[in-house]
Amino acid sequence: MGLREYVIRRLLQLVVTFWAFFTLLFVLFRLVPGDPTSMFILDGMTPEQREQRIAELGLDQPLHVQYVEYISQLLTGDFGQSFIYREPVIDIIIVRFMNTIVLMGTALFFAYLIGLTFGALMGWWRGSKFERGGIVVTLAARSSPEFWVGIVLLSVFVFWLGWFPSGGMRTTGGELGGGFLARYGSTDFLRHLFLPALTGAIVFMATPTLLMRNTMLDVLNADFIEIKKAEGLPERTVLYRHAARNSVLPIVTVMAIATGAAMGGSVVIETVFNWPGMGREMVRAVNSNDYPVAMAAFFLMGSVVIIMNFLADLAYVYLDPRVEYE
Amino acid sequence: MSTETNSPVTRLFDGVANSARFIRDKFEAFEGDRLGQIGLVILATFIFIGIFARPITIDFLNITIPGLAPHDPTATRVGGRLEPPSLEHPLGTTVLGRDVFSQLIAGTRVTLLVGSLAAFMAVFIGTNIGLVSAYFGGWVDDVLMRITDIVYAVPFLPFAIVLVAILGSSIVNIIVAIVLVLWRSTARVIRSQVLSHKQRPYVESAEAIGASHVRIMYLHILPNVLPLAFLYAAFAVGWAVIAEASLSFLGFGDPTMLSWGEMIFNVYTADAIRVAWWWVFPPGIAIMLFVMSVFFIGRTLEKVVNPELRHQE
Amino acid sequence: MSLLEITDLKTYYRASDGWVRATDGVSLSVDRGETVGLVGESGSGKTTLAKSIIRLFPKNAEIVDGSINYDGTEITELTDRQLRKQIRWSEISMIPQNAMNGFDPVYTVGSQIVEVIRYHEDDTSKKEARKRARELFNELGIDPDRIDDYPHQFSGGMAQRAMIALALCLSPNIILADEPTTALDVVIQDRILETIKEKQREIDSAMIMITHDMSVVSETCDRIAVVYGGRVVEIADAETIMMSPRHPYTLGLRNAFPDISDEDKDLISIPGTPPDLVDPDEGCRFAPRCPFATEECWEVTPEAEDYGDGHMVECHRADEIEYLQEEAAKKETWMEQEIGRPDETPPEVTSDD
Repeated sequence: MGLREYVIRRLLQLVVTFWAFFTLLFVLFRLVPGDPTSMFILDGMTPEQREQRIAELGLDQPLHVQYVEYISQLLTGDFGQSFIYREPVIDIIIVRFMNTIVLMGTALFFAYLIGLTFGALMGWWRGSKFERGGIVVTLAARSSPEFWVGIVLLSVFVFWLGWFPSGGMRTTGGELGGGFLARYGSTDFLRHLFLPALTGAIVFMATPTLLMRNTMLDVLNADFIEIKKAEGLPERTVLYRHAARNSVLPIVTVMAIATGAAMGGSVVIETVFNWPGMGREMVRAVNSNDYPVAMAAFFLMGSVVIIMNFLADLAYVYLDPRVEYE
Repeated sequence: MSTETNSPVTRLFDGVANSARFIRDKFEAFEGDRLGQIGLVILATFIFIGIFARPITIDFLNITIPGLAPHDPTATRVGGRLEPPSLEHPLGTTVLGRDVFSQLIAGTRVTLLVGSLAAFMAVFIGTNIGLVSAYFGGWVDDVLMRITDIVYAVPFLPFAIVLVAILGSSIVNIIVAIVLVLWRSTARVIRSQVLSHKQRPYVESAEAIGASHVRIMYLHILPNVLPLAFLYAAFAVGWAVIAEASLSFLGFGDPTMLSWGEMIFNVYTADAIRVAWWWVFPPGIAIMLFVMSVFFIGRTLEKVVNPELRHQE
Repeated sequence: MSLLEITDLKTYYRASDGWVRATDGVSLSVDRGETVGLVGESGSGKTTLAKSIIRLFPKNAEIVDGSINYDGTEITELTDRQLRKQIRWSEISMIPQNAMNGFDPVYTVGSQIVEVIRYHEDDTSKKEARKRARELFNELGIDPDRIDDYPHQFSGGMAQRAMIALALCLSPNIILADEPTTALDVVIQDRILETIKEKQREIDSAMIMITHDMSVVSETCDRIAVVYGGRVVEIADAETIMMSPRHPYTLGLRNAFPDISDEDKDLISIPGTPPDLVDPDEGCRFAPRCPFATEECWEVTPEAEDYGDGHMVECHRADEIEYLQEEAAKKETWMEQEIGRPDETPPEVTSDD
């Protein structure tokens, strides 16, 4: 089977996964015990308002009609109105989604950069003090929930040393206009970004580090590493161009899972640092029964993970010439 | 004699012997493995604290074993508001004048409960799905693995938040939410392991003598993949505890059961994080230590399950 | 002077229970264009000996004593960088046992050849390097277009040819061939050996052929060194080793392989296993498995003795060549001996006299 067929098949799978995810979401938000419509109703509504709201949301329709309606709305990007803000959900969520992507993207980037380097070195210098210490540090980081790492960093760098702001995304409350760079490029923004991104990087670093170390140990036993050394190539070339390059393959497959972890992590990290992202918005929405917003946030998070899974599979095919498209 | 080898009783004994061998191997693996030993000691300490946290009354003997917690963790004003650590309150008091040390000790129970129950159920489900999927193959495998793939697309914590918010904040719902996602990794790993076992001669010979599917799966194959399930259980305990702590920290914890995560949530809502370090750090350190201990143990088990790793140390 | 002169080389590994003396006082010389075979069972230390020449061993190994002189350069004294730049591959290259695993699976074979050419020759362009790789492929009987294939797309024999191309791309003076054909089936084995010999003659390089297979060395080598327990126990030209060896181990090894002249001969293998090389005791290391071991063999490590024409033997009974050769040809000699020292007695008792 050729590459083209593989991609097409994988695309079909993507569609099926998305459909299953849509359905899961639909079921999940109708699971509520007793009257499923109760969660779409705010306290203190008059019976007329209730009626109107239920009709507005189509909750008086039979389930299958609701389902079809729901799917078609999702496909057009229509997530309804926020109960609290009284604005289209999409407008509320899209800015926060970008904020989350910037924060988690930065965190993941550094987690992988540091993790892969660190893990490769741990494998290269196996049996050394560096390796043993590295394992303990990595396991400690992996054992810490995001909020705990965040609190420790807050206590040290904000409350004690006073080097960074305690939360938020920028000092001036006012909205910044302009392009992407004006929004996300200013030093003030970077100062706010540092601690939450570091928190994520520390927690997400553990998986790539340990995996990289393990696969490095396997790869270093391979015959070709000895040949590369016999060829006289410098140690750095053997380590990075050959050993690390081979060890990276399994890492690609866990990247999608890491994205899932990052999406979950964003909920906690954004709460600790008051980051105006989708995760914090989701907690707020759930707490205030703003279900359209909660649902949209959950939908976007799941979509990111599904798409990352897809991309990881494609990347693997590209990186490993041995893959057969079965 | 040889005809008896396949009788159910012998099989069962074999299974028991297998497990016994595994446990013996397990302890051998801990020898000379400092991290694994540290993990065992920490975990044992937590289990001890968890069991004896509160007074235990044995009715028919008419005795009460006093609890380790010096105060009732939920009693307000056993001390002043936000008192720093003292002899009376080794870890100070909360904003409501509750004893932090007692809360910390009581919280151990919730952690143990959630960790062990959620891990057991997740691994139980995961092992069965992996076993059935690999053993039957074909469309069964296709369907089960597609489902696993889809669960892999579900972001863990957001899912748990939504589920708990909809079903209500109770310890049972929290465990259900964790289990519904956590089984996925066990299912995948057990499946690939069973796939390799399915090819082995002992399965073929069991098929040849006409053993039923259930029999082959649970009496012949399962004992061989059980060590791997143990390993995943150890890791699952860690993940479950982190998930519970995170949920509680976000305010979705069971309000009737005070957990470590909830303690930190209380610090946050009381806006006391800047002042009351004695209230924030103990539960955080406890979570970290507990999860580290199971990960250390898991790492050691990994060497039993995957002996190649042992030579790499 | 020889191209390569190894004198009293000792390469030890650090192990948890002491030093593993993988190469323990070996002297060996290789002339320009000459092929020397290193024969012995696995675990005899032949591979360590060969890899010591380019100091290619794990981090827990080191050359503790001795000298390796390559064409006037003392290899044991080079810095890592000098070793890499001046010796490895450009002067001494190697062909591994399993060529398939010798290539990095994620790069094309051609790009790996180009990589090593360009690292050692600063002024060779990528295009020239590619052209040379194609030429080499052509000479070795592989379609030149296949330089853009990945290693897994090659068959075993083809991969071994590609590996030879890699080993020859810098026209080295010495090629270390570590059992280059054992992973292949017999029909291809011969063709590959021929190819190696042919190319070796063409560029006039020496070769050290490591193998446990007596028939391979007898066909390809000018001289043969028999390695046992980290030492060269016998060395001579190929004909002497095959026809009139003096060391019981060589006799035993020869028995284990089919003889071309005598087809009805039974194959006899040597009972027992190679010795543990962790801090070995005094005495001949082959004594525990040797059917001819005497009291002296257990007590005194034999010195190398010269039997003319560079025929060196480390054996106390090498003088009794006729008796040894006759007895060693019988199966009973090997099968009925006891492994280990026959009169092993606790030291407390012997200390009395």
